Amino acid sequence: MTEVDRRGDTVAFTEAAREQIRGFIQEDEATDLAIRVRVRNPSPVSPEYEMALIEPAEHEPEDEVFDGGGFEVVVDPESARILTGTEVDWVDSLQGSGFQFTNPNVKPLGSEPLSGPLADRVQQVLEQRINPGIAMHGGAVSLVDIRDNVVYLRMSGGCQGCGMASVTLTQGIKQVLQEAVPEIVEIRDVTDHASGTDPYFSPEK
Amino acid sequence: MADPRRVLLLIASTSYKATDFLEAAGRLGVAVTVGSDHEATLAEEAPGGTLALDFSDSAGSLAAITELHAREPFAAVVAAEDEGVELAAVAARELGLEHNPPEAVHACRRKDLFREKLSKTDLLAPWYEAFPEGAGPSRVAGQIPYPCVVKPVALAASRGVIRANGPSEFVAAFQRVVKIMRAARGDRGDAPLVLVESYIPGSEVALEGLLIRGELRTLAILDKPDPLVGPFFEETLFVTPSRLDTAVQSEIERVTGRVAAAIGLHEGPVHAELRVNDEGVWVIELAPRTIGGLCSRIFRYRAGVSLEELVLRHALDGTLDELAEPLPPSGVMMIPIPRSGRLEVVSGVEDAEAVEGVQEVVMSLLPGQEVIPLPEGNRYLGFIFARGESAPAVESALREAHDLLDIRIEPTGSQVSPSEVGSG
Repeated sequence: MTEVDRRGDTVAFTEAAREQIRGFIQEDEATDLAIRVRVRNPSPVSPEYEMALIEPAEHEPEDEVFDGGGFEVVVDPESARILTGTEVDWVDSLQGSGFQFTNPNVKPLGSEPLSGPLADRVQQVLEQRINPGIAMHGGAVSLVDIRDNVVYLRMSGGCQGCGMASVTLTQGIKQVLQEAVPEIVEIRDVTDHASGTDPYFSPEK
Repeated sequence: MADPRRVLLLIASTSYKATDFLEAAGRLGVAVTVGSDHEATLAEEAPGGTLALDFSDSAGSLAAITELHAREPFAAVVAAEDEGVELAAVAARELGLEHNPPEAVHACRRKDLFREKLSKTDLLAPWYEAFPEGAGPSRVAGQIPYPCVVKPVALAASRGVIRANGPSEFVAAFQRVVKIMRAARGDRGDAPLVLVESYIPGSEVALEGLLIRGELRTLAILDKPDPLVGPFFEETLFVTPSRLDTAVQSEIERVTGRVAAAIGLHEGPVHAELRVNDEGVWVIELAPRTIGGLCSRIFRYRAGVSLEELVLRHALDGTLDELAEPLPPSGVMMIPIPRSGRLEVVSGVEDAEAVEGVQEVVMSLLPGQEVIPLPEGNRYLGFIFARGESAPAVESALREAHDLLDIRIEPTGSQVSPSEVGSG
């Protein structure tokens, strides 16, 4: 990572990122361009950010505007709330090139060890009541994270990519977990079902 | 806010629609029991959440449904797809809930009975005859008007549908259809009948609607811009609004409504397939369910209301939500299956999704799974969804996105030779 410019209150850019942005602005025929930085999806599973060149007419009165280091940066208030302290770098590697966001406010799910009585109780229900049943279809479910009493689960084996996974989740796992651990407010499936290799049921016409 | 009512949702284990219906129910806050053709893994741990049923044995399944209904009453019974529609009608009648008559639903599931009902009306209808599987096709080939279409009486989505232009093609098509029917039948109990109809030339459209106390409310007329002339009938594009003349569109609505009435349907979703030519509008099929596969995802209304949500609201309250306004120009491509084999990898999805207007690309077959083209195929490869400023813009976006996909299929030993059926 190159030197970070911290003149922006919300988002800071490395020199490599600044150079890229200045280049994009110079390549464009329009004048007075600024760069809008937006959080398209603040999901802790896969947050999505967006950067786009905008003209002065595209500014909104409530936008936060600051100097990013040779160019103007525009951020809407909701995105600013999530982006505060974020660093933007430009990464060029064999796998591809692009802007990389490091946001201290978005901790990926499962990035910290799970502990505490709530996690223990959920684990216990998964091990004793849910996984033995799901194993009949070659599947398993594991606890990924708990945030604000929202439980994040990942399915594997026969459940990953299974056409009936949503039935298992809403009509089985959810009922059992919420009955055993009533303080759970929501259960979310973070499985990458498109990567399943041995789904128990597959959709047919 | 939670709705105290409970819906019995019949979802086949091979459903494409489980997630969409369950999400819709979740948004409405209604409780759900999923009735399916398998024993759910957590049935004992979560009683009332699921119910194992035999969709082909309505009488036998009724006992389980009425027993649960006595403890946790159902306010509606909804079938997600063809497999459950007959049981849903029978169960609803038993429980005293508003629904279509089982006899009418049965006629929609059997293409020969459907044709028979229509033959008693003055609506345009092709010549047809149903033959037992065992009928010698060489013997009956001389009785058939050509070109004709040979199809199983009970399979959906163009499975086993083959055009034949003369006796030799008819014999090959008949034999191939019988093979497909036998392979598909399993324990479904489908009638062992092959339907032969005269081929109707013309452009094909679909109508998606909802029947409310016998009145058809059209949600969309969808053009199928790719020609469907055979020998097989792989549907690819659905685009709305229709580019047909408004008078023709009115006729499509009128004919669909009359067909539904003639069959005896009066409540719930209908999906009709029709052909339009100089003679008028011909109904090919009408099913008492929503559009197949994941195609219903083009129906997104204000606040994210889905077609499944409209269907559930109607089943519970008997009304069509006011959110069901005309759709903006929208479309879906059922990604064509280029050849048989084993799906290796699909690349270019991100590029396809970056095409202006494209909303999503969903691959429904997973790498490693078998890919089988029509007429034998029974799975969609995937779907591309788009919206745009106009129907041509939507169609163009779908085609451009499809061109960006690189679908690699490894050949396997089970390919079907094109020579097994005559050319179209």
